[in-house]
Amino acid sequence: MQNKSKNFDVIVIGGGVAGLSTALQLGRRGVKTLVVDRGALGSGSTGRAAGLLGQLRGSIAATSMLMDGVKIVQDLEAQCQCEIFVQTGSLRIAETTERAGEIRDLVAMGKSIQFPIETLDAKQVAELLPYMKTDDLLDACYCPTDGHLQPAELTSAYIKAGRQAGVEYKTNCRVDSILNEKGKITGVQTEQGISHSPIVVNAAGPWSYLTAGSGDVILPTASIGHYYLTTRPDPEQTVDRKSPAVRDRHHRIYSRPESGGLIVGMYEAEPVEYDMERLPDDFDMSLMKVARDDFNAALLIHAAQQRFPWINERTPMTLTTGIMTFTPDGKPFCGKMDNLEGLFHCTGFSGHGIVQSPVVGVIMADLILDGSTKYDIEAMEADRYYELPGFQTRSEIKSKCAAMYGSYYGRVERPEILSDSE
Amino acid sequence: MKILVTCKRVPDPDQKIRLQADSREIDSENLPYILNPFDAIAVEESLRIRETHGEPVEIVAIGIGVEECDKTLRTALAMGADRAVLIPWDSFLDPWNVSGILEKIIQRENPSLVLMGKQAVDGDSNQTGQMLAARLGWAQATFASRIEFQSGGKLKVERETDSGIETLGLNLPAIITADLRLNEPRYASLPSIMKARKKPIERIETSELGWAPDPKVEIINMSMPQTSRKKVRLTDISDLVARIKEALKTN
Repeated sequence: MQNKSKNFDVIVIGGGVAGLSTALQLGRRGVKTLVVDRGALGSGSTGRAAGLLGQLRGSIAATSMLMDGVKIVQDLEAQCQCEIFVQTGSLRIAETTERAGEIRDLVAMGKSIQFPIETLDAKQVAELLPYMKTDDLLDACYCPTDGHLQPAELTSAYIKAGRQAGVEYKTNCRVDSILNEKGKITGVQTEQGISHSPIVVNAAGPWSYLTAGSGDVILPTASIGHYYLTTRPDPEQTVDRKSPAVRDRHHRIYSRPESGGLIVGMYEAEPVEYDMERLPDDFDMSLMKVARDDFNAALLIHAAQQRFPWINERTPMTLTTGIMTFTPDGKPFCGKMDNLEGLFHCTGFSGHGIVQSPVVGVIMADLILDGSTKYDIEAMEADRYYELPGFQTRSEIKSKCAAMYGSYYGRVERPEILSDSE
Repeated sequence: MKILVTCKRVPDPDQKIRLQADSREIDSENLPYILNPFDAIAVEESLRIRETHGEPVEIVAIGIGVEECDKTLRTALAMGADRAVLIPWDSFLDPWNVSGILEKIIQRENPSLVLMGKQAVDGDSNQTGQMLAARLGWAQATFASRIEFQSGGKLKVERETDSGIETLGLNLPAIITADLRLNEPRYASLPSIMKARKKPIERIETSELGWAPDPKVEIINMSMPQTSRKKVRLTDISDLVARIKEALKTN
């Protein structure tokens, strides 16, 4: 295949969960699909993700998509005989009155759509999570059907099922540009030659703004660093593999069990920003390393210690950092823009790519093949910033996306449906 | 007591290394550099000694190299070292010459204990500690996996050998080189990072030390390892079993 052109119906740029899920659903619908990745499949943001699944979002549309995603994952588990979804339940906790208000709203919203959710007091939380500080909690809510998706298992299931559906994969092959003639997509130029297809899906995650840019399309995403720590199993501090995930928005952290230890991640106020064009051509996200005196790592450890007092800078642990793709409003870009026919975007998952990917694959296949989908995707349409002043230059886009990341846990939320009803 | 800890700036060993056109140096462009992991273990051990030692302990981090070593030393300071010394040098130094510079620094600083990584992960020489001990005529314990202070300025050191753990008794002053299992280095805490920004990094030129290079080793050529592995997609488990049996037979 080297240096020779080959024809496909659809070429997906990026073998992370977004691209792999899209390719799987296209393959299942009989579409000749190729996934091209600059490295190994799942070696980008996917491979650095924690995969927390909190299904109750600020809108009914987003919530029902995540709930449908669980069903898709359960089918994949049956098909590939693996465990992807670990149902641990999830907990939101409040230590301020503002955050307690947030939780009350969330419980009201959940109940209004029959989503399993209950309020817990500090004592009940302490029983669920003996390794967490609970004496300062004002309120908490528990969603028993939440948990996390194991990113590695999900990735391999997408690939396994994708192969069965006839999807082809090409790895260690960087896409240099998307090709078009008279405003219509014709394929991609890779470092190994040209591949032809009338449709290209830009699922390049942190690189997706560059991929779009190679076709003169402005895509307002920014590439933002994220950190989490994973403690090593400690006989004195056992973390049950089914113990609930925690979101502590006041301290900007989340946690979940992992292999006998605990993952704690943070949405810090001032994240590290990356310009992907300035990284080496063979940059490999899976090799990113955290220095012993990394400032953001120290912030994370400090925040983790506030909620889990047994964690400190001397706790045996692994620090992981990776790069997320953030958008100005924290919602992904799924679909096309009008300026280049045949180019679809599937990116900008803002830290929620793993859990959104199952249903996003279905949505993308719907949009590509039918031009529409049964899902309410208004909030994630790719053209919502098209030619919008203030979202056109890289510096504008970067600062807005970084601000979104910075306020991700920082701001106090009001669910859409509750604020609508007032 | 004063402890001197060596801190070498090395390329992150997990990254892809490229060579320069003349094959005598690695291409440092875009390459992330870190504190030599074995030196980080040495720094951690010095901190633990300070935490448990009865008397006050001063920890001095030493770097030899380019201006960017500043950042490497800042890591050691953020972990908890008290101060740092950088000896500027911008070309290759073999272990004999590194130990020569260290000898001069030690004569100036008069530490009772020198903690070093057993080797730097770039050159993998594993010579500097031994040469330094020889130059100074000090006691040495290499590949240390456990260090214990005993009364009367004595040390008990367990070292990892191919045939098991060897226990040594050492008199101070001494050189100890750290192996992987000596400890697990900490991450710097937030206050410690802030404090480190104000800690001094002293620069001492080799001329001030009265040291002149005496090269013993020259790098003639470097080459990349052959990493291409043959991969085959197997159909099922029985295929795998058959291939393993085949491989066992031929080996």
